[in-house]
Amino acid sequence: MAQDAPGAVGARLSPKIDEAGLIRAVQRGDQDAFEQLVRAYDQSVLRLAVNLLRSQEDARDVFQEAFLRVFRSIDSFRFDCSFHTWLYRIVTNICLDYLRKRKVRKEEPAVVDTPEGPLDRMNDFEEEAAHADPQRSLWNRQLGRRIEGALEGLTPRERMVFELRHYQGLRLRNIGEILGTSEEAAKNCLFRATQKMRVELGDFQ
Amino acid sequence: MTCESVTKNIPLYFYGELPPEEEDRLEQHLDSCAACARQADAQRSVHAALDRRVMQPSPALLAECRHDLMRSIYRGEAPAGRFHPSRFSAAHGGSLSGMLAAWLPSLGPWRMPLGASALLALGFAAARLTSPGTGGPLTTASLTPEVISSVRSVQPASDSGRPGEVQIVLDETRRRVVSGQMNDSNIQRLMLAAAHDENNPGVRWESVDLLKSHSDSSPVRELLLNRVVEDPNPGVRLKALDGLKSYTADPEVRKVLAQVLLRDDNAGVRISAVDALTAHTDDNMVGVLQSVVQKEDNTYVRRRCEKALKDMNASVGTF
Repeated sequence: MAQDAPGAVGARLSPKIDEAGLIRAVQRGDQDAFEQLVRAYDQSVLRLAVNLLRSQEDARDVFQEAFLRVFRSIDSFRFDCSFHTWLYRIVTNICLDYLRKRKVRKEEPAVVDTPEGPLDRMNDFEEEAAHADPQRSLWNRQLGRRIEGALEGLTPRERMVFELRHYQGLRLRNIGEILGTSEEAAKNCLFRATQKMRVELGDFQ
Repeated sequence: MTCESVTKNIPLYFYGELPPEEEDRLEQHLDSCAACARQADAQRSVHAALDRRVMQPSPALLAECRHDLMRSIYRGEAPAGRFHPSRFSAAHGGSLSGMLAAWLPSLGPWRMPLGASALLALGFAAARLTSPGTGGPLTTASLTPEVISSVRSVQPASDSGRPGEVQIVLDETRRRVVSGQMNDSNIQRLMLAAAHDENNPGVRWESVDLLKSHSDSSPVRELLLNRVVEDPNPGVRLKALDGLKSYTADPEVRKVLAQVLLRDDNAGVRISAVDALTAHTDDNMVGVLQSVVQKEDNTYVRRRCEKALKDMNASVGTF
């Protein structure tokens, strides 16, 4: 019983547009083709960065760095994997660097305590769970804090596999390909991540 | 299937990552094992809780990211020669293409920051001085010197579906879209100003290219006469010259074209000038043509002048 990812990834290219042709056009120096290619993937890249890093500033930096790397190195893209996989290798590498640095620096979590109660620093984002019911709202805030805590307990790699599978809807085989590992290793990583999440969130029902 | 393997496989089950036969065995086990069924329920609750926390970046954040990216690229991240306005090469096929290739790279500044730009769509066909976007209507009061000097590119809006419509990109901090007719004085003011933007040959080229079809307007003709002599970019001078071809019988225009023929350092421009000038027999041009024959190193230009002089029964040389 597969679950649909809440924000499943995918290129937003018109079916009429041939992606390989678009990439070749970029390699020939076609500016419009590059913009089309960026627009086909940039929403899912930004969503990945936002959900992983829980920081608008860091997500912006990742977005910029990732597409600049694409821009600089697209000449070396040889179609030996899908463009999506190639792009996500770049994006996930950058995000993993951020997550690892953050682990070392012990940066502030997205939800912080204030005299007025917990404040979600990500409150600029549109949340699907926004409700008018105050009780429900309180429950959501508490749940949000627990989830943040649970996510912070994951290693960067577990966090990445979990994010790609749960929120981006990628298959484990594809995740392994992106992260340069096997499907089995990605599976084990997901298992460890979900176990930790269950320990943290199991009583919150 | 043992309880231990079910525990390990429950997350994969919820993510649909189990092979069908293992999925069947796991479901059979859950039907018969209350402890594992509770674990599956717990996992389902965790999934539901996590789903509620998915975050969608706001459209504003996405727009800012696109802005920053394009600004970085157009401000110098682009490897030399990577991006070029392809329409230039398409517009200049034929015999002049080789000559024009020499000045195409000089349109580099055309690659201006796109993200920091405002989009101004000027519709020539419809009289709609309204803003469908975030900006206000294009009024005389809104055309401050800052706005006029902020034009970064002018190009046909080929995908708008409205013939004759153009887009003008303004280097402002926010985006606005305005439509209007080209013969509207405010629209024309913007385009005339853009045709003089000394920092951006691309926008001058585009502006002159569009304005030349309205050369019956005095301000436009004055602009063309100015640009064909003064513009430092030969592509712009060629466009201006194209716009003057309907007026080659006009003495003032002929005087300017003669100046171009004698002084322009670009052979392509001189070829166009000699073609325009020799389209009409004009005894007043004999001296100019003789001077050109003496000093011109381009064979085509020289021969056109010689032929024109012979047609007028004038001497090819000077004495």
